[in-house]
Amino acid sequence: MNLWRLEWLRLTRTRRLVALLGVYAFFGLTGPLTARYLEDILGAVDTGGVRVELPDPRPADGIAQYVGNISQVGLIVVVLIAASAFAVDARREMAVFLRTRVSGVRDVIVPAYVVTTGAAVAALLLGSLAAWYETGVLLGPPPVARMLTGIGLGALFLAFAVAATALAAAVVRGVLAAAGVTLGVLLAMAVLGGAGDVGRWLPTTLSGALAGLVDGTAPSSYLPATAVTVVGTAAALAGAVVLGERREL
Amino acid sequence: MMLSTAALSRRYGDHVALDGVDLAVPDGAVYGLVGPNGAGKTTLLAILAGLRRPSSGTISCGCPRRRVALLPDTPQFDPWLTGREVVALAWQLVAAPVPASRIDAVLQDMGLADAADRRVGGYSRGMLQRLGLAATVVGDPELLLLDEPASALDPAGRREVLDLIARLPATTLLSSHILADVQEVCDTVGILRAGRLLYQGPLDALLVGRAVPAYQVRLHEPVDRVAERLRTEPWVTAVEQDNGQSLRVGVRSLAEAELLLPRALAACDARVISLAPRAADLEDVFLELTS
Repeated sequence: MNLWRLEWLRLTRTRRLVALLGVYAFFGLTGPLTARYLEDILGAVDTGGVRVELPDPRPADGIAQYVGNISQVGLIVVVLIAASAFAVDARREMAVFLRTRVSGVRDVIVPAYVVTTGAAVAALLLGSLAAWYETGVLLGPPPVARMLTGIGLGALFLAFAVAATALAAAVVRGVLAAAGVTLGVLLAMAVLGGAGDVGRWLPTTLSGALAGLVDGTAPSSYLPATAVTVVGTAAALAGAVVLGERREL
Repeated sequence: MMLSTAALSRRYGDHVALDGVDLAVPDGAVYGLVGPNGAGKTTLLAILAGLRRPSSGTISCGCPRRRVALLPDTPQFDPWLTGREVVALAWQLVAAPVPASRIDAVLQDMGLADAADRRVGGYSRGMLQRLGLAATVVGDPELLLLDEPASALDPAGRREVLDLIARLPATTLLSSHILADVQEVCDTVGILRAGRLLYQGPLDALLVGRAVPAYQVRLHEPVDRVAERLRTEPWVTAVEQDNGQSLRVGVRSLAEAELLLPRALAACDARVISLAPRAADLEDVFLELTS
């Protein structure tokens, strides 16, 4: 029994891993399906005589539908699961058990970060493969290289989101507080990114990279955000360790 | 000394939680740190365990940090772990110089062998306390810091935990506001009030030095009449009513009282239930020092 196994058991015995994989798989399967039959769905709904005409769906639409869903619901689930792993100081007695037995907070944060990020990336991979398959069947095959690049950038964004949660948990104590702060910061980034050219530098841009790349956006346009995300992830983790060491119980 | 502090202080803003504490825990001692709620006991233990920083002062410990173990007052663990996993994790984290068979041995010692593979979410408060103790001692620490280890338990659970503490081989510093517990298991005592250490030393020396010769007399009838009569005796130094049926009779000497007290009680037709010399206990001394 060690801290790596502790984090793995936290995911499996609490069904958090099932929830995470389930959410991404669900949207991976339903996203392209929704895109393919959206016109039929709208036609079946009483629109008061208004007829909605949509262009024929393309592979990019199927992937975009999937990415749109996981960028919201999927991200919330990832942040909540990460917050529950990092907020060890939320209950003093449980924190005392770990903090008095490790040589530093880093010993606790590193396994929690690696295992949680690994689970989030596995969920993204599962959902993306499901969306890829379903899009290929219903709408036509999306470009392979761009799909792989988009999945990689999405995984990098999740790694950043988990690191940001670790930093938030070092600033506030509760699980919900840490998740709320993280989601608030990510939402603010997304709003800021939509307001002007600064968006190409922000990590939240990478959450939609998979859809953008499949839709024809140049991969090079994501380089600034990629660089900032890598640096931001390292900085957030370092900040979490430093602030965690300073925190008293 | 296994553990000592010099002028240890801790402030929270304007509030002084610890004020120049000079603690001295002898090697091999079971040291009882007593004090009312808010005296600074938990703060002191948290500082000694490295969970908080002192505002000033120094700490000197006779063993490495990894050989110090702290048990909080109400230990809690992830409810989806089993008891064995909790102790195994504790054993692994402290890199204990003891074999893995020690895990099952401490579970057995704490009476948790049968429940070791159950998830701790279903444990009772007493079982959690014993599990906390198992996780604390599994690494064979040289210094144990126990924060109110029995105060949240029912009488049976308290009895079990006190018996376990009494058998621990390590130097132990335990805090408590239950003075009977401290008097039972500790050989050295420190009395803390408002962040200041009022007394520190062997328990026996504290009690002997403060002992006042007295008798405890329990009667069937209301005690007022008997109390009045005893107060007229020249060898009686004080008479206090503990309750409606009990008197605490201070005397010049126990030897004198052995002879004269039964005679005085008989002279006033007192219906005596019991009559015994009253030993000074920690509660008396504590109240005297902290009041």
